[in-house]
Amino acid sequence: MTLDASISPSQSAKPTARRRWRIAAWAPLIVLVLLCGLITLINPNFMTFGNMVRISQAAMIPLVLGLGATFIILMGSIDLSVEGGLTLSAVILSMLVLNGANSNAFGMFGILIVLLVGAGVGFANGVIHVRLKIPSFMVTLGMWFVGVGAANALLGGMAIRINDPMIRSLAIERFLGFPLGVWLALFCLLIALIIQNYTRLGRYIYALGGGEDLAALSGIPVGRVRILAFTLAGVFYAVGGVLAAAQLGLGNAQIGTGRLFTTVTAVVVGGTALSGGQGSVLQTLVGVLIVVVLSNGMVLMGVPPSVQIGVQGLMIIAAVALSIDRKRMRIVK
Amino acid sequence: MVNKLISGALGKPIKRRDILKGAGLIGMAGVFPAIITRPAFAADKPTVVNSIRSLSNPYHATWNKGGAAFAKSVGADYVTLVTEGNSEKGIADIKAILAKTGGNAVINVDPNDSPDARPIIDAAKAAGAYVVTQWNKPADLHPWDYDPNYVAHISFSGVPYGKAMAETLIKKMGGKGGIVALGGIESNVPAIERKKGLMEALAANPDVKLLDYQVANWSATEALEKTNAWLTQFGDQITGIWAANDDMALAAVEALRADGRAGKVPVTGIDGIQLAVEAIQKGELAGTVAWDPYWQGGMGLAIGYAAKTGVFDPAKEPKEHREFYGKGVIITDENANTYYAENIAAEPKMDWNDIWGRVTGQIQYD
Repeated sequence: MTLDASISPSQSAKPTARRRWRIAAWAPLIVLVLLCGLITLINPNFMTFGNMVRISQAAMIPLVLGLGATFIILMGSIDLSVEGGLTLSAVILSMLVLNGANSNAFGMFGILIVLLVGAGVGFANGVIHVRLKIPSFMVTLGMWFVGVGAANALLGGMAIRINDPMIRSLAIERFLGFPLGVWLALFCLLIALIIQNYTRLGRYIYALGGGEDLAALSGIPVGRVRILAFTLAGVFYAVGGVLAAAQLGLGNAQIGTGRLFTTVTAVVVGGTALSGGQGSVLQTLVGVLIVVVLSNGMVLMGVPPSVQIGVQGLMIIAAVALSIDRKRMRIVK
Repeated sequence: MVNKLISGALGKPIKRRDILKGAGLIGMAGVFPAIITRPAFAADKPTVVNSIRSLSNPYHATWNKGGAAFAKSVGADYVTLVTEGNSEKGIADIKAILAKTGGNAVINVDPNDSPDARPIIDAAKAAGAYVVTQWNKPADLHPWDYDPNYVAHISFSGVPYGKAMAETLIKKMGGKGGIVALGGIESNVPAIERKKGLMEALAANPDVKLLDYQVANWSATEALEKTNAWLTQFGDQITGIWAANDDMALAAVEALRADGRAGKVPVTGIDGIQLAVEAIQKGELAGTVAWDPYWQGGMGLAIGYAAKTGVFDPAKEPKEHREFYGKGVIITDENANTYYAENIAAEPKMDWNDIWGRVTGQIQYD
């Protein structure tokens, strides 16, 4: 992987802690490599190009969602509205583009509206969280249900088939062997990297996660940064919604079910600390790949279905145990 | 908070936060009694009540339409209760409606979980209301032990229909090949029964090999991932996919489509949702079974209503009318167009007086 060199941008910010951090930050990548090796030993089909494409297909949505969630978790907050934002976006998209239920056909314009809806959901999260001083956990929990509820209200329990060839091409059409959706997800990763490393917002997010009091005292507009970060995350969830709708070829109110767990797992397994300040979007990429490779690999290895979920749980604990830096922690809650 | 609101009314300045909190309270007050009801003008007729899991899935949404259609046909008040997967809420809402109607009610309930049926029946018997349960109840709870209030229990055996779909699939495959199967939540009774049906069909067709059986928890997302992994593992060995419900079957079709094989590998589902019927018309799905939730929502009420209004005496009915399996409709490319035209494009036509028309035998517990 060519990404290795920049796996932990926080290294450059903490020169004194560099040596201690090295192993911890690389642990998820080592786990990923070991995992791939183990699965290949048992089933050589794993390392075929066809399977790489399928893994990338399975990873594209968790990756986009994880990018959004990474910014929130880097601030030391949590965003539970992943499923709400995604479901609402997917459902609205299915109603705006060429579909089997009404005569709309907004195409590209429909996607723009959906991204605005996602931004709106995130913005609402941020404003309520900052202005009313309600913990992000509660605000986003509420927004999760508001999003799914609104999607329900829009559809009345039905599912809408998407016929728009442009949307469907994200899942079906390929460039260099990979579906267009995968390239879109990689483009989102690039954007997230730029925001994280080269914009004021990205650096402020790290500052907030490292110590919000200090950040506020040094003149960082804490409230505005938080609102912007939640808005940004909302846009990423909307992209996730577009991809989910494209993949299943439909929009329904259950399209987001189970995605929050995968998202937060991927971010944390990648080594981004729930306490904030440490981690990066590239680590989230590694985390997503670990989660996806594991679930793909367990089917390939013929692990019985009843054991799979337990193995996933053990994997989470192991990955976090490897990547955590115990020396800097005094209290664990 | 209440004190603050009162003090506001007494002349102290009200803060913006307080107004928001108050607005929030009013909002919540509107949400919590989720009993969607109309004023009870026709108080002499029993109120007819459907209690279902949610209105967010096509299955229960159609169930609700059937209930409304029956209520309209007899001119009774119609109430929909939604449990949202919460047993306590489901039971409490039913008790509330019993209190509101003074027991002059007919309840058709799909209990959220099997144990819920007992407190619901107890409450209804105490109030004098009539109940029909569907799908879930404890095996030792029988309608004839609660005469006349517990009118009937309706369920559908997954075994024959899981088997019928596997046979449809095997026929499409030409009697030989390899299939992969997507199952529902492992502990669910319908998932267990449908799998059993699949296994029976496989035992009768030794030329068809079950390559793998995976649990995708009724979820399209999980089914898509599992199918993708299978396409890697087995590739062209897969010549058929059996799924325990339509959501998973349609996801398998999408996985095949991304692989350029949609319509070439036959897939079957179960449940008969609209998108599945459309996929059969397009030739991408080989078959499904419709439980006809429209019938379930309306006929459950019709049976209870007939008992409540004295059309028949539950105590005198045979046991096979008190605990029975209903009839599923098998849909394949042969009848998909007709089914679509009669049940989806148009409002289904039902004879609500034909209350025992779909009895296919007494429920067996083993």
